Amino acid sequence: MQLLQYKSQAVAKPYFIAAIALFVGQILFGLILGLQYVVGDFLFPAIPFNIARMVHTNLLIVWLLFGFMGAAYYLVPEESETELHSPLLAYLMFWIFLIAGALTIVGYLMVPYASLAQMTGNETLETMGREFLEQPLPTKLGIVVVALAFLYNIGMTILKGRKTALSIILLTGLVGLAVLFLFAFYNPSNLVKDKYFWWWVVHLWVEGVWELIMAAILGFVLLKITGVDREVIEKWLYVIITLALVSGLIGTGHHYYWIGTPGYWQWWGGIFSALEPLPFFAMTVFCFNMVNRRRREHPNKAATLWALGTGVMAFLGAGVWGFLHTLAPINYYTHGTQITAAHGHLAFFGAYVMVVLTIISYAMPMLRGREVNPERAQVLEMWSFWLMTVSMVFITLFLTAAGILQVWLQRIIPSPQSFMAVQDQLHIFYWLRWLAGLVFSVGLAVYLYSFFAKDKPQTAEAGEAQPAAT
Amino acid sequence: MPASPERLTPDAAPPPGQGLAIAAEALYLLNLLLLPGLAFLALLWLYLHRRDDVPPLARGHLRQTLSASLWAGALLAFVSLALIVLGGYDTAWTWVVVILYFTTAHTTLVVLGTIGLARALAGQPYRFPLVGNLLP
Repeated sequence: MQLLQYKSQAVAKPYFIAAIALFVGQILFGLILGLQYVVGDFLFPAIPFNIARMVHTNLLIVWLLFGFMGAAYYLVPEESETELHSPLLAYLMFWIFLIAGALTIVGYLMVPYASLAQMTGNETLETMGREFLEQPLPTKLGIVVVALAFLYNIGMTILKGRKTALSIILLTGLVGLAVLFLFAFYNPSNLVKDKYFWWWVVHLWVEGVWELIMAAILGFVLLKITGVDREVIEKWLYVIITLALVSGLIGTGHHYYWIGTPGYWQWWGGIFSALEPLPFFAMTVFCFNMVNRRRREHPNKAATLWALGTGVMAFLGAGVWGFLHTLAPINYYTHGTQITAAHGHLAFFGAYVMVVLTIISYAMPMLRGREVNPERAQVLEMWSFWLMTVSMVFITLFLTAAGILQVWLQRIIPSPQSFMAVQDQLHIFYWLRWLAGLVFSVGLAVYLYSFFAKDKPQTAEAGEAQPAAT
Repeated sequence: MPASPERLTPDAAPPPGQGLAIAAEALYLLNLLLLPGLAFLALLWLYLHRRDDVPPLARGHLRQTLSASLWAGALLAFVSLALIVLGGYDTAWTWVVVILYFTTAHTTLVVLGTIGLARALAGQPYRFPLVGNLLP
């Protein structure tokens, strides 16, 4: 039975599989890191802390990019009502990106970072050594090639087919993602300028153009599972992306408080980033409103749960935990503490991890030749949702508690203690965070298992005799 | 054979009282997020002046949001204050507990209000769990 509306949508499948595989790697390194916080020489010198952290964050970025690309390859043909411009190019880019990504991670783990820089020609154009942008020059160039080929493929597909608000918003986000990555090649020797433009990649990705991608993916899934009129969904998306861009672009200023930029950034950054929860708030209302107004009961309950969860968790992680330390007078004390780590974990999980898992939950059954997963697989997937989500909330709460104590001991009391002296006093929270991380990895294992779970024979027979309950 | 999406009834005209229901939920959220006190007074005024002559949908949202707002005041202001008084203003652990408590409680109340607003926008009733039952 042909479930895909367009054959070329099948291109998305390897992207989603690679995304999930790299997600597993990311969590594995998260567990290693969590232990290194409390057992300082764990796996040293094989995997030093700085390398494990780099792998953890780089894997996150790469697997989310795989997820975004898979999502685009799945939804653009359906939105444009035409086959993908070149499935072959998409497959080719998949392998290039995967091999380049894998080689980069192997390079991080096998070669000292300075030697890696030397081996990969960093002296030609010095781009390495900056947080999140640690990739060697050839990898960065590879990312540009893959991004250009991807945009060409998606752009040509949209050009030859129907243009919808969803696909245009997605394309705008993807173009923004590619263009802003070019600032990864700009590494001025002036440290203030370096940090200033570094944020144009980091902040303007996650608090700018990625929100457009997220809104488009969420809008697409909600359109499919609720049957609400496209016009209604599009109007919501216009509001959301307007709020995201108005608040997020100048909101970059909340990173400029203490890096040597003019003082007015404390006002601009504070005011506009205080507005940044608004698009996420709107997204939460949007998700619940669409599900409340649904015109059909879609049998993929797991996808609906992921979509609703994305709205709520993105609001909590990016909105609330971002607001918690975004105003300059508060950030003066909290800057670079575990409060930032708490925000980072919940925001990335709530907004981007969950939206990728939402589209995977919706699309993967069809990519595997069935409209929805069997009941048991869905139940397991929903269990994994709750295990991962609740444990991530606890990770966030423990890190927040660690951060508050850190601020107090390091920056409030009359005789502030040194960084490492304070770290020793945060061990209880780091242990609790690690245990929550362990539960998260159990959730991930359940998630993986759900892909292989089948209904028990009697349930399957009953399902054949009678349409599945809705 | 895979199960297909089942069609439900299409959108009907907005139910009576929807506007007031949305206003009640919006005021509840404003009280928590932007205009504490002022938005509560507006909500209280709406409840006192309109509760008897509005459709059930609006009455339900008014009653629920006012009840939840009263709970919110108690949970956020009084409990936080009590924690500070009991724990001492000048100790680290007081602030660890108070900030975590306040953030968690406040966020939970906001998320409940968000769901309430989404329900009101869809013309449906909503019952706040635990905090919606203070009023008769």
